[in-house]
Amino acid sequence: MSLREEVLTRVKALLKDRRVDGVLGLSLFEKEPVPCLFEDPFDVDALVIEPKWLLAKLAMNILKTAPQEYRLGLVCRGCDDRAVTELAKRNQLDRNRLTLLGIPCTAEQARKCLCSTPYPREIVAGERVEGMYPMNDEQAQLFLTGSMEERMKRWARELNRCIKCYGCRNVCPICVCIPCKLEDDLWVKRGHIPADMVSYHLIRAFHLSDTCVSCAGCTDTCPVNIPLMLLQVSMRETLKSQYAYEPGLDPERVSPVLTEQEKGEGTLFQEPAWIDSLRGGS
Amino acid sequence: MTDRTEDSGNIQVVLEGAGRKIVVFACTWCALIGADGAGKKRISLPATFRVIPVECISRVEADAVIRAFTSGIDGVAVMGCHLGGCRHNGANLRSARKLELLKPLLDTVGIDSRRLFTSYGTAHEYHQFAQAIESFCSQIGEMPPVSAWSRSFVRAMSARGENE
Ligand code: SF4
Ligand code: SF4
Repeated sequence: MSLREEVLTRVKALLKDRRVDGVLGLSLFEKEPVPCLFEDPFDVDALVIEPKWLLAKLAMNILKTAPQEYRLGLVCRGCDDRAVTELAKRNQLDRNRLTLLGIPCTAEQARKCLCSTPYPREIVAGERVEGMYPMNDEQAQLFLTGSMEERMKRWARELNRCIKCYGCRNVCPICVCIPCKLEDDLWVKRGHIPADMVSYHLIRAFHLSDTCVSCAGCTDTCPVNIPLMLLQVSMRETLKSQYAYEPGLDPERVSPVLTEQEKGEGTLFQEPAWIDSLRGGS
Repeated sequence: MTDRTEDSGNIQVVLEGAGRKIVVFACTWCALIGADGAGKKRISLPATFRVIPVECISRVEADAVIRAFTSGIDGVAVMGCHLGGCRHNGANLRSARKLELLKPLLDTVGIDSRRLFTSYGTAHEYHQFAQAIESFCSQIGEMPPVSAWSRSFVRAMSARGENE
């Protein structure tokens, strides 16, 4: 049985047994894939599992607007699984109302997304493939190395193409705050194009510093091809090396920047020089 | 900028690296005491920095630091109490972790994390404050102004035949 058939069987069973009221997945509409909420087992044959399409935010919105007792199934990949975990940690969705049907990504997809964990924690079928380390990618390396001046020029060249469509914010499964600082004149002037490089892009990137699940949604969605996900790499690396923390992997663990972590737990706190960043600190 | 020394009364104002602008966020309970002390003792300090008092440095979001760089500030110092000595339930520790996480982002885009100076409990005494400010100011003085960032932006735009 193919991966898709396996998923179809599971979805049908879930709906027939009334364990969920609806399943969110993709279906073909005039040959184009679109997100679809399946509530009748007879419709499920239209379900497809390609291409990669982030559904976590949609699932969150469905749960927020549906009646309290509505339970949802979600066909999800690794990134959606991590996003759901992060959203649940931040009380944005009720994990008890959500049943995940995990599917692993292909090696090709993982390379495209620079994804280190191209599978959810539980998969219904298929094989897990090895992820990849972003810094092993040539384009990523090009963007993340070099002198400060080179980096500055490179990012200025990229970011000044921005047409400020807010796509990167809207697609990001973790970007859910209302109101949003990127719409507040104090932080980012509205109506100015291109977006102010420093405040628009860095505030957006920093707000996702400890939640970015590296789904590559921002990079994929940008109409002017800015490799936005690369902005997150160094912060994700820092969290990993200093606190052994990766967003979305552990539902129990609170982000280390939000908790009282004792001194000495992470390498950050063993360095006395760190309390004064001028004296040989980082 | 030329370095010069002005005598106004008995206060010496040293205009060193005067083109650079520096903002110091100082917590009321620690660095601000150091800053006040330095003022009372009339220590000569670079004239390029301005102090913004805050109740606790946890009030200084990373966004504020980013916003400062947008507005053409060349260096931002965030000075609070030592970690473990915060009057607000260890808020400075969490703030410290957040700011520490901002540094790799500043490095990624080439703004350079050395423009963000964090100090926790090392500027309580007036001489400590004076020394910290002096070394930070001279470090910033050696770096290009942050507006170089926006300038390379403008250049990139005019290269595309756009002007504004
Ligand atoms: S910042 Fe980009 S890669 Fe990270 S979670 Fe948001 S959309 Fe995905
Ligand atoms: S998706 Fe791209 S063009 Fe749109 S606001 Fe984000 S960076 Fe700018």
